[in-house]
Amino acid sequence: MPNQYFGDYITVLVFMAVGAIIVGGAVVAASLLAPNHPNKTKSEIYECGINPVGGGWSQSHIRYYIFALLFLIFDVEAIFIFPWALKVESFAEAGMGGFIFVEMVIFIVILLLGLVYAIRKGVLRWE
Amino acid sequence: MIDYHALAPELILAGTVMAVLIVDMLPVRKHWTAVVGLLGLFATVVPILTLGFCESLDFCDYSGSREMFGGSYVIDAFSLALKGLFIGSAFVAVLLSVGYLESNRFWQGEFYFLMLASVLGALVMASSRDLVTMFVGLELVTGPTFLMAGWRKGEARSNEAALKFFIIGVLSAAVLLFGMSLVYGVTGELTFTGIRAGSVGVLDGDLSGLFIIGVLFTILGFAFKVSAVPFHFWTPDTYEGAPTPVTAYLSVISKTAGFVGLLAICYLAFGEVTTLWGTGLWVLAALSMTVGNLIALRQTNVVRLLGYSSIAQGGFILVPFGAAIAADVTGSDLEEAFFATVTYLVIYAFMNLGAFGVVIAVGNRLRSAEIKDWAGLFSYAPGLATMLGLFFFSLAGIPPLAGWFAKFVMFRSVLASGSGWAGALAVVAAVNSVIAFYYYSKVVVSAFMEKVPDGVPVAEIREQRTAPSLQFALVLTTIGVVVIGFYPTLISGLAEAAKTFASGF
Repeated sequence: MPNQYFGDYITVLVFMAVGAIIVGGAVVAASLLAPNHPNKTKSEIYECGINPVGGGWSQSHIRYYIFALLFLIFDVEAIFIFPWALKVESFAEAGMGGFIFVEMVIFIVILLLGLVYAIRKGVLRWE
Repeated sequence: MIDYHALAPELILAGTVMAVLIVDMLPVRKHWTAVVGLLGLFATVVPILTLGFCESLDFCDYSGSREMFGGSYVIDAFSLALKGLFIGSAFVAVLLSVGYLESNRFWQGEFYFLMLASVLGALVMASSRDLVTMFVGLELVTGPTFLMAGWRKGEARSNEAALKFFIIGVLSAAVLLFGMSLVYGVTGELTFTGIRAGSVGVLDGDLSGLFIIGVLFTILGFAFKVSAVPFHFWTPDTYEGAPTPVTAYLSVISKTAGFVGLLAICYLAFGEVTTLWGTGLWVLAALSMTVGNLIALRQTNVVRLLGYSSIAQGGFILVPFGAAIAADVTGSDLEEAFFATVTYLVIYAFMNLGAFGVVIAVGNRLRSAEIKDWAGLFSYAPGLATMLGLFFFSLAGIPPLAGWFAKFVMFRSVLASGSGWAGALAVVAAVNSVIAFYYYSKVVVSAFMEKVPDGVPVAEIREQRTAPSLQFALVLTTIGVVVIGFYPTLISGLAEAAKTFASGF
């Protein structure tokens, strides 16, 4: 036996091989067994429902992207604040309440600066 | 408690980064962002000096290196020397950018914000002594530069430069993280001293192979950053497509940051496997010098030429690492190699920033970076042509310009160890110095001796003035290259102090 560390990976390899065999076998079996009579209606994107209109590429407004980015930033900020809020009390008891408070204020001010910057550059105006 | 004096350079620079962003929002002319950035960089020098000369100051009662956060952040002579180098180079890089951005009407506020944020990452790297801090610092250096490379928004070449740089940057970060995760996995330690202590036991055990793979991958990750052959493919395209001041920034500060990471990790964390990284970097150094120089021979564009030349110079900087290839390498040999690398980095920063300054100044007038358009430069712009000669001959290593001293310590460090392989690397380096001299002098000869090609508006160009900030940057780098060439002790004192870093052998 080489050692336990590499040995663990054998499980992963076996798992991958079994997965590949099952999926590949299903695809091969389907192509051997299933009847194949293509026609124009069948090869459309949706076989039933509304006929597709236009090409596959469509544009959405760039502002959605910027909103998504801003949302992400403040979402992450919230995630950082929750564990901080849980620990504030124990820090305050240890006499470091002021320190931990100032740390979080600095963090929020930096992020707010980003928001002010976004507003100042007109990112949030929807025209 | 936290030692705020030791963290002052980083804190001041972080404040400057935010101040630049605030100034950008105020209704004032945009060049104030550059002024604030330069003042902030200047203010950052003060705590670096007070930390460096702490022992002779009244208010400062501390001696030796300062360790913080459980040894993962250290302020010692090495980190202070490199921080000074980063701040100085950033100062010149900002000066190079001012005129370029203004005359081409590019966005300014965000540019300095990103550049200074990247410099902040470089400062963090110089002090970081554990894998996570090192990685965060490296990403902070690299992240903003992806955007800066694409600053010429409308141009396809600039977009290509940014995209290539981004993809390779992400790939190298992944390779580096993979290597780091293996090293952490087998040693169970994150700090460099801990990894070194832990690796002793690992090398005797079952997992030594895994540790060696981790070491190799970590070094490969940094090889991308310092664009060592065969991981250099992004370099020429990115250098040519990016705005020229950004190219100067990438080839000096971003590259030096990569070397700082390599130095710290090789000499501290991987101190038990010197032969391993010595062999790896021996090969990379020989390949980078040879391939970089041979391809540079055929270049017709000055920026691409400097791109390949910086690959080759990267090889020269890697040469001292190759001295560690000998199995019986001694502690003093390694200290000497460390000294040579730091010295070369400092001198390289001066020469390369100066060379790019000349390229920006001439490119601004001629609107071309083709070598054949530069012919006869001396007849209508004698000052710039002289500086071109100065910086290119310094890069080639001609005495009495600063480059000779860098090459001298580089050769001394590999020859001192006395092993055959290190001697072979010295031979490769010597042959490459000759090749490099040929293509550097080709540009200079054409600028001084050939006739001005038709269609160059000579009278018009004589009227044009170089932007004052660019003039200042050129004067600073010229003084650096000439003075260091005559008094190399200025630099060697700095590097001498820094080499105690490698004294743990």
